[in-house]
Amino acid sequence: MRAVLRAAGVSKAFGPNQVLHDVTFALQRGTIHALVGENGAGKSTLMNILSGVFRPDSGAVMLDDTAVVFENPRHAMARGIRTVHQELSLFPNRSVAANIFGRHQPSNRWGFVRRREMRERAASALARIGSAIDPDALVGELSIGEQQMVEIARALAEEARVLILDEPTSALSEPDAERLFTVLRDLRSSGAAIIYISHKLTEVMRLSDEVTVLRDGRVVGTSPAESVNQDQLVRLMVGRDVAATRPDRTAADASDILVVEGLSRGRTFREVSFSVRSGEILGFAGLVGSGRTEVCRAIFGADRFDRGRVLVNGESVSIRCPRDAIRLGIGYLTEDRKAQGLFLAMSVGANIVAASQPRVATRLAFLRSAVTRATANAWLRRLDIRPQDDRYLAGRLSGGNQQKVLLAKWLAAEPRVLIVDEPTRGVDVGAKAAIHAQLQALAARGLAIVLVSSELPEVMSLSHRIAVFRGGCLVAMLDGRTASADEVMTHAAA
Amino acid sequence: MPPRERLRAWLPRRVPVPLVGLAVTLLVLIAAMTIAFPEFATFANGQVIATGFMPEALMSLGMTAVIVSGGIDLSVGAVLPFTAILAGLMLHAGVSVPLAIGTALICSAVVGLLNAALSSALRVHPFIVTLATMLVLKGVNLVVTGGAPVSGFPTGFTMLGQGTLGGVPAPLIVFTVLATVFGVALRHHRFWQQVYLIGGNPRAAQLAGVPVDRILLVVYAVCALMAGVAGVLVAAAYGSVSAGFGQNSELKVITAVVLGGANLNGGTGSIGGTLLGVLLLAVLYDAFTMTGVSTYWQDVVSGAMVLGSVLAAELLNRRRLLTAS
Repeated sequence: MRAVLRAAGVSKAFGPNQVLHDVTFALQRGTIHALVGENGAGKSTLMNILSGVFRPDSGAVMLDDTAVVFENPRHAMARGIRTVHQELSLFPNRSVAANIFGRHQPSNRWGFVRRREMRERAASALARIGSAIDPDALVGELSIGEQQMVEIARALAEEARVLILDEPTSALSEPDAERLFTVLRDLRSSGAAIIYISHKLTEVMRLSDEVTVLRDGRVVGTSPAESVNQDQLVRLMVGRDVAATRPDRTAADASDILVVEGLSRGRTFREVSFSVRSGEILGFAGLVGSGRTEVCRAIFGADRFDRGRVLVNGESVSIRCPRDAIRLGIGYLTEDRKAQGLFLAMSVGANIVAASQPRVATRLAFLRSAVTRATANAWLRRLDIRPQDDRYLAGRLSGGNQQKVLLAKWLAAEPRVLIVDEPTRGVDVGAKAAIHAQLQALAARGLAIVLVSSELPEVMSLSHRIAVFRGGCLVAMLDGRTASADEVMTHAAA
Repeated sequence: MPPRERLRAWLPRRVPVPLVGLAVTLLVLIAAMTIAFPEFATFANGQVIATGFMPEALMSLGMTAVIVSGGIDLSVGAVLPFTAILAGLMLHAGVSVPLAIGTALICSAVVGLLNAALSSALRVHPFIVTLATMLVLKGVNLVVTGGAPVSGFPTGFTMLGQGTLGGVPAPLIVFTVLATVFGVALRHHRFWQQVYLIGGNPRAAQLAGVPVDRILLVVYAVCALMAGVAGVLVAAAYGSVSAGFGQNSELKVITAVVLGGANLNGGTGSIGGTLLGVLLLAVLYDAFTMTGVSTYWQDVVSGAMVLGSVLAAELLNRRRLLTAS
């Protein structure tokens, strides 16, 4: 079989950081080739090299067994290589149709855009992946899941010989993901070659023909998907055995720390009431868009609410901004770490103390750098954040380590209630296990945790109680020890 | 395609609410002035308005593209006299009219190319680059002219600024043509649509294969070229040029574009909106003159209007986002 696209001995370094070592990777025509590995293993860099975003330091990219040099993404696209990037790369102010076609809007001989044709073709590109999003809607007004569908439709709008998808399902609902898989299988049988990057190993096993595992920038194995199982993959990715976390489900018999009564805002969420105790992990399950994040942001003072009240330690409190919430001991770990969580251009140390300035500052509000650094370094060690350097730029860290920095930021603020929203989105298995273990340890030490997650296994394995949301309402409160996945899904999707 | 649908496809799907507000403000202002001053709604005053604000109107076309791309061009107010002086000196020295105009316009476009090239090569925000260009050109203008006006142009040239065609001043015709070209191009042409992509999300534009640097070269060149056209027309209209032309006009131009709904963060804005903004400013300044309001107060009022319109747009936007979620 002839490889359509091949990386031959590719190496790449960013400054002193060697990201890829002599990586060789061959993608065959008419196959789906999964690329797995922990965050920071070099998958995204490899993908960026194959799609012309970066150029390799050494080694070559071969298209149809001929060495090619992609100067920029445009060159790679012109050769039929399409990518779905992990970070949404859409234009919020433009219509769905304009986004799908980007710079290739259908136009006449003089370059004038044919709007009707563009709308129709956009609609059919969306219909192909089973989506009925209005091509005229503004992308900025769509949900994250819908935006992801637009991003996929864009990659498929034009004939692709090679399609590279980086975590395409991280924001998709189950049915949308299923439809995507069907489309990918169709594409495969029509001869396209697909690189599929994902942390969801079940997906990988179901979908792919071949699997390549990257670890620390090296290829540690390539094999047909049917000849490996999930455990072997995880072992290859991590380089060690990962014990499945089995939570201790004895919720402390303490009093309620946070009580929410009848919280409502328009049609976004209605009459949401719940309480969470010290030492308890309360899971929020539900589909994307069921109002969980909105409720959390309202409690935290990041958004307003119309009706209802919030009690902390039995006292009704007024939280008008996140600062109020932090003073009351509430932390909120956002679901969107890059846009709303981290200061990417600042040091890891500055990020860690960002929510606990009063603790590390003098009375005149000058930051004490010794205290700041000591605090930061203590958390770097405790959460095993790599590299263990408080002066490292937060934006340079891998996704898993960024997520840990975010967690450290809130733990440094010593909250009594911590709301964590999708704490392991786009995070590799190793970092995921570490974050899960941290959450359990924190609960064991008396922290009250609200865990919002769209990954059912995560909610099921960590929560003492599970609150299920549907269409802005809290529709069921289940016992974490006895609830089954079916039961949760029935409530969430009814 | 039936004609009605074809028309629908070309018209904006939803007219932005702030623009409706702007149009209403404009109409109210015009109505009030018409009632209070009978000489306001006359052809003669229309001509005064049209010629008085013509340089800013021309420059606002190019500036709209620059602001949509997420940038800014502070140098237009210096490019205007620079081009006018270049043309003036050449004409004064006896160079033929087309050659003088052509050379001056090319020079103005080169300034724009330099702005974009420096900004992308040095990775410096266009605010800084064009600020520097503005200062350099202001100096050059004074050095070249020695601070004295240049005059003595052939009628073939001054006709461009002072002549009329069927009663319509020549500059207004030039402007109408250019505004139409810009409006159609920004809205319907593939190349100019990419400017919205660059302004909306520069990184995504790069990943989508948009040749960002190349497009910005064109955008800034065209913006400076419009300042050049304004300079040539001003020189022709006054029959003389001096380094003092176009003083602070870049601020009025940016004001007009922002009033017209363009966001300085890039990605939004339209020629239609800009035209409304330009018209409102032009009528407002005319109203100031007519009512005898002190020039000191004029800037206070236009500043307050910018704040007001931005505030209104922001509030409307927030409401829309809340109801959409």
